[in-house]
Amino acid sequence: MAPGTPPHTLVDSRGSTCPGPITDLALAYRRSKVGDVIELWATDPGVKPDVEAWAAKTGNRIVSLEDQGDKIVVVLDIVRR
Amino acid sequence: MSTTSEAPAVASDAGRPTAGKLSIVMFSGTADKFIPLGILSQAAAAMGMEVQVFVTGFALRGFTKVRQDLPFAAEFAAMAPALAEGMAAQHVDTWDVMLRQAKELGAEIHACSAMCAVMGLTMADFNDLIDDIVGAASFLQMAEHGETLFI
Repeated sequence: MAPGTPPHTLVDSRGSTCPGPITDLALAYRRSKVGDVIELWATDPGVKPDVEAWAAKTGNRIVSLEDQGDKIVVVLDIVRR
Repeated sequence: MSTTSEAPAVASDAGRPTAGKLSIVMFSGTADKFIPLGILSQAAAAMGMEVQVFVTGFALRGFTKVRQDLPFAAEFAAMAPALAEGMAAQHVDTWDVMLRQAKELGAEIHACSAMCAVMGLTMADFNDLIDDIVGAASFLQMAEHGETLFI
C-alpha cells in the first residue's frame, strides 16, 4: 500500500444471500475509521439497492458500483462513524 | 398564558442521518414466520437501526433450550420441502443464525412476561437468544418513535 493511501478493506460476500452482504458490510464498518475505504464483493441481486440504502442510512459515500457479471463490486468511502 | 416547550424525545446527532428503530412483535409459532423475523432483524441491525423483538404467544416455543420442532403453517406445508431445498442450495442462514447475527449488531430480544407465566416458562428455560423477560408496557416504551411489525 502506498504511503498516504487510506486503509482498504475487502469484504467478500460472494454467494451470500440478503441480508448477508449488508451484514458483512456493517461488520466491516464497525471496525472502520473515518477515511477508510471498504470494497464489497457480492452476488446477491439485491445488493445494488441495498448498499445504496445502507449508505444513505449511515451517511456514507459510494465511490463506485459496478456489475462485473460474475460479481457486483461496490467501493465505499467511510465518511461517518 | 404560557406554553411549555420540551425537547423532542427522539435523540439524534445534529446533521447525522437518523438510523431509526424497528420493533417486532413475534407472535406466530410456525416456521414460515420465523424466516422474515430473522431476515428483517438482521437487515435492520445491519442498517444501523435499533432492533427490539418482543417474543410472545406461540413464538416462545422457538426460543426454548429444549429444541422444539416448529411446524409450517398448513397453507404453506406443501411448499416446505422445496423451500428448504432452495434455502440450502443458496446457503441461506437459518432464522436463529440470522437473529444471532442481528444480536451481534445490537438487536435485543425480549420474552413476554404474561405468556411466560401462562406457559410456565422462566429465563432458565430459554436459550441465549432471549435477553430478558419484560411486560407489554416495557416493550411499548422501547418501541416508541419507531416502526413496529407484528408477525
